Amino acid sequence: MINFKQVSCRLGGQKFSFNLQLPLGQVVAIMGASGSGKSTLLNLLAGFIQPQTDAGQILLDGQRVDHLEPSQRPVTSLFQEHNLFAHMSVFNNLALGIRASLKLTANEKAQVEAALDQVGLKGLGSRLPKQLSGGQRQRVALGRALVRRKPLLLLDEPFSALDPALRQEMAVLVKSLSQQHQLTVLLVTHEPKDVLLLAETVVFIADGGVHWQGHSKDFLQQKDPYIQAYLGQNC
Amino acid sequence: MSKLFLSRHWFWFSGISFGLVLLPLLLAMGAFWSYLGEAQWLTYVQDTYIWRVVWFSWWQASLSTVISVSAAVLVARALARRQSFVGRWLLLRCFSVALVVPSIIAVFGIILLHGKYGYVNQLWRWLGGEPQSYVYGLTGILLAHVFFNLPLSSRILLQRLDAISSETWRLSSQLGMTSADLWRHIEWPYIKGVLPQLSALVFALCFTSFAIVMTLGGGPKATTIEVAIFQAIRFDFDIAKAVYLSLLQMFFCGFILWAGLRLGKPIEIFVSLETTAKNMRPDLRPIVGIVSDTVVLLLATLLVLLPLLAVVIAGINSAWAEVLLDLRLWSAFSNSLWVALSSALLSLLMAAGLLLAQRHWRERYAAASLAVEWMGSVILVVPPLVLATGLFIGLSPHVNVFAINLYIVVLVNALMGLPYMLRVLSVAYLKIARDYDRLSSSLGIQGWHRLRYVEWPILRKPIGLALALVAAMSAGDLGVVALFGSPDIQTLPLLMYQRLGSYQSEAAGVTAVVLLALCLGIFVVLERLLGGSGD
Repeated sequence: MINFKQVSCRLGGQKFSFNLQLPLGQVVAIMGASGSGKSTLLNLLAGFIQPQTDAGQILLDGQRVDHLEPSQRPVTSLFQEHNLFAHMSVFNNLALGIRASLKLTANEKAQVEAALDQVGLKGLGSRLPKQLSGGQRQRVALGRALVRRKPLLLLDEPFSALDPALRQEMAVLVKSLSQQHQLTVLLVTHEPKDVLLLAETVVFIADGGVHWQGHSKDFLQQKDPYIQAYLGQNC
Repeated sequence: MSKLFLSRHWFWFSGISFGLVLLPLLLAMGAFWSYLGEAQWLTYVQDTYIWRVVWFSWWQASLSTVISVSAAVLVARALARRQSFVGRWLLLRCFSVALVVPSIIAVFGIILLHGKYGYVNQLWRWLGGEPQSYVYGLTGILLAHVFFNLPLSSRILLQRLDAISSETWRLSSQLGMTSADLWRHIEWPYIKGVLPQLSALVFALCFTSFAIVMTLGGGPKATTIEVAIFQAIRFDFDIAKAVYLSLLQMFFCGFILWAGLRLGKPIEIFVSLETTAKNMRPDLRPIVGIVSDTVVLLLATLLVLLPLLAVVIAGINSAWAEVLLDLRLWSAFSNSLWVALSSALLSLLMAAGLLLAQRHWRERYAAASLAVEWMGSVILVVPPLVLATGLFIGLSPHVNVFAINLYIVVLVNALMGLPYMLRVLSVAYLKIARDYDRLSSSLGIQGWHRLRYVEWPILRKPIGLALALVAAMSAGDLGVVALFGSPDIQTLPLLMYQRLGSYQSEAAGVTAVVLLALCLGIFVVLERLLGGSGD
């Protein structure tokens, strides 16, 4: 269970406050208008932003994680871009997920190769990121998430720079990987298609807090004026 | 093709610009050419003094570059890490000031600090040591070169480090990277690319540095080619030797420029001098890093701040009334101001004319357009003293060069500022062409309106900064002015140099403060007035 208890922070004059409970082992879509606080929620969970007061708590399986360093938290983040080190080969970009010194044992090297295989990049380990397409680069980042073996995967609009066919392909890949590895995925997206394809649960964020939470099938039929306005169903 | 405000008359405008740039260069080269027959090549080649000067030029420039650039790496990294360092504002201000301080002022400050009766020696004596004389010669030259080039290099490197995306920092903190990992995987790969070009730039600046070597060097042991050219003309009256040394200097500068271009892409000079990036780095906590960064930043602040403070303190003395009431000071002041503003304006007009021509030629004559780009680089091969020497030799038979000395100073300084002007303006021009050309054309925005609403808002900031820098640089010029110096027509740096040379230290102190105020004043007024405040 992921549990946000009264977690608040202030960014650029806007106040955010989150109360949220999510089951583990699911794909959860985080939706909401631009600037509503979707990324802030993910950043709080990853530890990139510190909660404002000590009153708030972030718990994972009952354990507090809000005082941990980002590297000590059981999460892997994937951003829209800049997920890779441009001067480093694909293989080394994955290897960083195991050890920052890049000194791997034979067994660990095999793990990297296996992860490359799983994300469909077998044999491309020696390439540089600039020699790959946008979709392939995001696959490399997914591969690194696999070798890191963290139970939580936080995806912040990771497919929004890709064309529709690639988006769908990536969504299917994320779905199958999350099932294979029993990952909990939090996916920030604006695309209702992603929701239908991937998510079991939807969390809708508005005005710096959780506005609605429920099953993804119910989300698109909601009569809530905020959600209808967001989905463009007013007219 | 875009329609600039001046596009109808561009031909005349560009023609005049080309003339102003090419004629002095051709005149200087022609003057060198006419002396080729007279030069006693064999004597010069066998002259051990010349070889010692050549060796010293390379040696001091190499040392200056290695010290400045490697220290700048430490300073830039510390600045990038400590975004909320208490003295950060002060340090960045000092670094900006160091970009516009005339070299004679820096030299004065360094002598006040490190001279035989300077503060360092006073402290040393208080501790029980014997006063040491170390400022004249290589040590002093290195101190002055680091004073100027450490701030410049730090800024360029800091801009590289600030360009690292925030995602990269978040990623590194999630991956649990240590300070050493960050250096190896992120920072080094980022700054590695600019180091060759940066080093070439610093090397070229130190190799051709004149005022610093002339005042702090001295004797055959610490003289560079640039100073030797000056001495050949003013002291030995040996024009042929000056020509030989000038050709040698141009050959070396060409080599440095070529090597720099071979090694990497040109460094982008950004207009913005402040950093906005708030980094989320995982290596801010360890105490070792905090201590080492604080020490590095403190030393860098002292390096730049102390000489400037010493100058200001030296300016507060009983001679101020006498100096300020002296008409010679104000005549020098107005000459310097005039030189500064004219050089900057002339440089801007030259650059604008060349760029206009380039825009018109780009489609039809690729070669001609390339020639404009090369014109900026060619000037880098001809350092100020070499160009001034060429003009001196070329003009002497026809006119009294000492009577028109200020005009020559303006011309040479405008040409020296041209590469910088071209670089800054062409980036902005390109941006306008790329981003707004079609939009403006489709909306029918032309002529005056286009200049007023589209071009000026984009160009004012780079123009303001470039004009401010060229003006401040020209106001502090001591190379060309010294070559054409006459007792009748003074400038502030020249007056300062004479007072320093004749041990009128109180008068020199007051003059220094006036000169410093002039350079900083010109810079701030031009940058703020033209550049506007904020974006």
